[in-house]
Amino acid sequence: MTEIVTPEAIDELVAALAEATPRTRLLAGGTDLVRAIRQPGTEPDVIIDLTGLAELSYVRLDGETLRIGATTTFAELQGDSLVREHALCLGLAAAQVGSAQIRNIGTIGGNIANASPCADSATALTALGAALTTVDGAGSVNTRPIAEVLLGPNRTSLAHNEAITEFSFAALGPEHRSAFAKIGSRTAVSVARLSAALVVRFDAAAGTLADVRVALGAVGGAAFRAAALERALEGRPADEESARLFAEGCVAAVQDSIPGRYSLPYKQHAAVGLAYDAWNGLALISPPCEPAWS
Amino acid sequence: MTDNLQYVGGSYPVHDVAQKVTGELVYGSDFSVPGMLHAKLILSAIPHGIVKRIDASRAEALPGVVKVFTCFNSPMDRFCRARIHPGQDLSPHDETLFSEHVRFVGDRVAAVVATTMATAQAAAALVEVDYEELPPLLTVDDALASDDILVHSTGNVAYEHEVDKGERPDLEGAVIVSSATSTPRVHHAALEPHVCIAQGHSTGGMTVWTTSQGVYAARTVIAELLHMEYHRVRVIKVPMGGSFGGKTEYIIEPVVAFLARETHRAVKLLLDREECMIATMARPATRTSIRTACTPDGELLDFEAATTLDAGAYASSTPDYSIHMCKKVTKVYRVPHYQHRSRAVLTNTPVGGAARGWGAPEMAAATEIHMDRVAAALRLDPVELRLKNMVEPFDTDLVTGLPLGDARVRECLERGAVAFDWAARRARPAGRGRFRRGVGVAAGAHKNGMFGAFPEASNMSLKMNEDGTFELNASLHEVGCGIVTTMKVIVAEVLGVHPDRIAAGEADTATTPFDYGTYGSRVTYVVGACARATAEKVKQRLLAAAADLLKESVTHLYVRDGAVRLRHDDERAIAYRDIARLGEMRHVPSIAASVSYFAVSNPASYSVQFAEVEVDCATGLTAVTDFLAVADVGRAINRGMVEAQYQGAVQMGIGYALYEHLDVDERGRSGIDGFKNYHIVNAPDMPDVQVLLVEHEGDDGPFGAKSVGEIATVPTGPAIVNAVNNALGTELSDLPLVPERIIAALHEPEEVPACSSC
Amino acid sequence: MQLLLTVNGMAHEVEAHPTARLLDVLRDQLGLTGTKEGCAEGECGACTVIVDGRAVNSCVMLAVQARGKKIVTVEGLADDGELDLLQRKFVEYGAVQCGYCTPGMLMSAKALLLANPVPSEQDIRIALAGNLCRCTGYTAIVAAVKAASGQDATPAIVLPGEADELAVEASTDPETLAVVDEVVEAATAELAERGAQAPDDLSSAGPEGGE
Repeated sequence: MTEIVTPEAIDELVAALAEATPRTRLLAGGTDLVRAIRQPGTEPDVIIDLTGLAELSYVRLDGETLRIGATTTFAELQGDSLVREHALCLGLAAAQVGSAQIRNIGTIGGNIANASPCADSATALTALGAALTTVDGAGSVNTRPIAEVLLGPNRTSLAHNEAITEFSFAALGPEHRSAFAKIGSRTAVSVARLSAALVVRFDAAAGTLADVRVALGAVGGAAFRAAALERALEGRPADEESARLFAEGCVAAVQDSIPGRYSLPYKQHAAVGLAYDAWNGLALISPPCEPAWS
Repeated sequence: MTDNLQYVGGSYPVHDVAQKVTGELVYGSDFSVPGMLHAKLILSAIPHGIVKRIDASRAEALPGVVKVFTCFNSPMDRFCRARIHPGQDLSPHDETLFSEHVRFVGDRVAAVVATTMATAQAAAALVEVDYEELPPLLTVDDALASDDILVHSTGNVAYEHEVDKGERPDLEGAVIVSSATSTPRVHHAALEPHVCIAQGHSTGGMTVWTTSQGVYAARTVIAELLHMEYHRVRVIKVPMGGSFGGKTEYIIEPVVAFLARETHRAVKLLLDREECMIATMARPATRTSIRTACTPDGELLDFEAATTLDAGAYASSTPDYSIHMCKKVTKVYRVPHYQHRSRAVLTNTPVGGAARGWGAPEMAAATEIHMDRVAAALRLDPVELRLKNMVEPFDTDLVTGLPLGDARVRECLERGAVAFDWAARRARPAGRGRFRRGVGVAAGAHKNGMFGAFPEASNMSLKMNEDGTFELNASLHEVGCGIVTTMKVIVAEVLGVHPDRIAAGEADTATTPFDYGTYGSRVTYVVGACARATAEKVKQRLLAAAADLLKESVTHLYVRDGAVRLRHDDERAIAYRDIARLGEMRHVPSIAASVSYFAVSNPASYSVQFAEVEVDCATGLTAVTDFLAVADVGRAINRGMVEAQYQGAVQMGIGYALYEHLDVDERGRSGIDGFKNYHIVNAPDMPDVQVLLVEHEGDDGPFGAKSVGEIATVPTGPAIVNAVNNALGTELSDLPLVPERIIAALHEPEEVPACSSC
Repeated sequence: MQLLLTVNGMAHEVEAHPTARLLDVLRDQLGLTGTKEGCAEGECGACTVIVDGRAVNSCVMLAVQARGKKIVTVEGLADDGELDLLQRKFVEYGAVQCGYCTPGMLMSAKALLLANPVPSEQDIRIALAGNLCRCTGYTAIVAAVKAASGQDATPAIVLPGEADELAVEASTDPETLAVVDEVVEAATAELAERGAQAPDDLSSAGPEGGE
């Protein structure tokens, strides 16, 4: 029968992780785990229940770094003023995860550990250049970029005795704008078919963009940065032409990431809508940009 | 229109609303009896094959497992899940409790019975099944092309039907228009999963608690299958969380009854969502091609259609469906000549069967999309074209030969076009921006019962209690649309008492008189008429008792507010409870009546619906921004519920047009296992639906009422498709209009993906 | 394992399997079957309960996660038999048909109103986005929630009052009542007299059969 262990402090978590086997599971919100362990034959030997670890639920500005505890829920992220000010694209992504019920209990750590290629938070964290801090059964604390953790669909580099404790990234400043866009099968409560997170630093005097970061999600195995597109936009003015280039670049990135896939004909067109939604989300130009239609 | 009605036309909550908002109501899925066992089905993992071996030893070794029943240790008698009464033979007996020849992914192979649900689930996972795989026929085309691979030994065409009515006129100079429309297989998606409980008693009898829509036919299927006399099988209708036709047919009832008899215990089978979606039944996928000829100014001359339905692995009610799809067009339109060939084709896919509208939504989709094509070809406004061809009140249906009754579809269209501001909206250009708006209209019809096809009748009795309250004894099958309330309101109106003074329960073969059940849009029109007739008879007894006491002629008396009153002297009245006192003491015949009511007609109910959509041409997502449903209801018995039913029906139709489809892949698996990937419209995507009622009280229903529940969803799908086509200048006709189809139509018109389920 | 749960203000000690869902414990062990299972994957919302003031899907939550938290189910809304305002509005606005989604809808709406006492229509629809309904099309439900928040909602359906208010209590006028009483008295006397006669005579004095 499954044993439930509920650590109440980090050292207890480490002790529990020290005993972990490949059949051990970590429980945060439970919205993915509870389903996964109810198939006959998938019962874990131990469930390490993280809901007792209040110290892993926080949003803190630590100098120039924003730190988010792994068991922070999406509802908390959605409503947090630090997130709104320093990581808007993440707050917007959090607001679109599932339904209110899911957001109330689903955690950012659980979502990333589950590593769905469509995870909205992964796209935003990738654009923010987030790093994950983990602790393992030996007590070692490691920090590595999110791209080194998310390896593919439902695959991470996390060991079975390793738990995410924190996400951290350079807090966006007053000159930064960020946006998140998602295309699902419907308006609300839908897994993303495409998602994009866009971060820029806007020089209002010169009207130009710098520190451009573009992350795309739900295409390919995991969210990724469209590096070539970022370079193409670096230093460009915040104008309609840049919006058009951005859209073209998103389409190209989508085409490169899922060649030959059944969904490509749809996604390469829908990527235009995604791009304009994200671009207009930056609110750099008024009125919002429209794609040119034939 | 009669305006001096006291209760009919008001708005009432469902009769058990207090229990529903407190969570007190015991639904089938909540129901239990002491010592009850739990069953779990083992379903075929392959679409076509023969079960060679089942090893249940590990399963049966688990503590708490009673037995594993399989195709090898259970009777292989055949039954038909689509049954209305004994002796009806439209659909074949092609199903067994468990299948040795499995015919779809989801076919029943075995069942575990155990002391707890968890044990049953764990045991089911331990049952090993070896199959010899046979080539599957996953599409209608594959099935039609195959001579040697047969889903059933009787052949892959389950049923064929043809109608040819009227005379083809001279088509010189006529404009010929063709279209082909496909509609998907969809899931009814009632929120409560399928469930049934049965208990085998040591008397040799059995009690079955079912959420199905007809207890008497359930009894027939069970009793015949298990070789039991009818009086030993008691079937009771328990509260259910929605059906929409998905619980009309007897899919799990025979299985649970068998398990209960074999174990001599109570057994409960509760399906999970995935099992509901693939292993029960679905609305069948169809494709219909239509070819019409009409005059250059839009008058229909000739209407030819061909329909193919995907019946899935068992015939179920698709033979009847095939027939009914040929009876839809001529309820709405006049045409000199109508020809329609339809067929139901068996495939190794989930079973198609009864669904809300019974072929009308499917046929309305094809017809109304076609009519818009005709309008475009003739450069006529879609409303104008329809007005040139719609039936008039008291026309005869060309196909059935039955009178259509007080058919007000034309008025629905005219009043709706004004209320929706059709002309102005239609004149607005959609533009060529990212977001494009369009409007569409569609009309549809449905029936009122089965008169003309089956002996259509209902039986009820009504009695008065000693305190002047009443008890209605009828086989009612509440599906959530307020049937029990409707009957109470009708009886209340006749007897002049508030509906809350009338008790009415649901069907029980042991205690309530025979009625077919809730389907065929018969409840308001036939069951309701029976309720009225029964109440009238009771009223006559009340009047007679009062006449006798007061020494007055019955013609001087009337009923109102719980008493019999004197017309010319409003001071005099005798309360019902005092009539009851008389009855106790003075040999006055008891104030009660039993009535068998036979339907005398089967008019059509109509709805015309208008949709406004906004299509995002970048993402292919379509929003329904405005919607009007106009309803020819004859008379609303429960006005609020009529509106509410229309609002819900439109939710279903929007899903049909834009989101829902249950396809199978090349391995016969659906890939859809729940609401995560089968999207029904949720609150953010649902527009506010305006409902406009047209009430002319013609026909023979109670107080002139006609059916509501099914007609409400008939024209919704095509209204939306027509609106999308208006917005985009396209001719899309494959439902649903998922984003892929819209994007492909905009960018690669030659490559629009076709419906993969038929 | 032993769990101490607080449900609808009452503490319960339950013995539960470690991987038991909160939904299972509520329904099977505490007999609170108002919370429903519609999909077992956190999509339909029929299983929604309130945990520490927030709406959650109890079908994707382990019971162990609810330790030390305040759980409210639909059974906890009414106060000593009195429906709460939200429940009353669901009744008045015709927001209930088959009723299977209703407990989940009520709990999501209740949680919304606790956090946002005067929500906009958009707020309501987003809050209910994870509660599926196949019967109502949501219009009456949204109107009911708006009305419960004290905002002037145009009700989709407005209901007449209770039976007691509407129906005039039927009464027999004094003159007629006197006649009835007289008839009843006479009949009572007649029966009493017959009762004193020999049993043989009773065979001819049965009540006329009902028709």
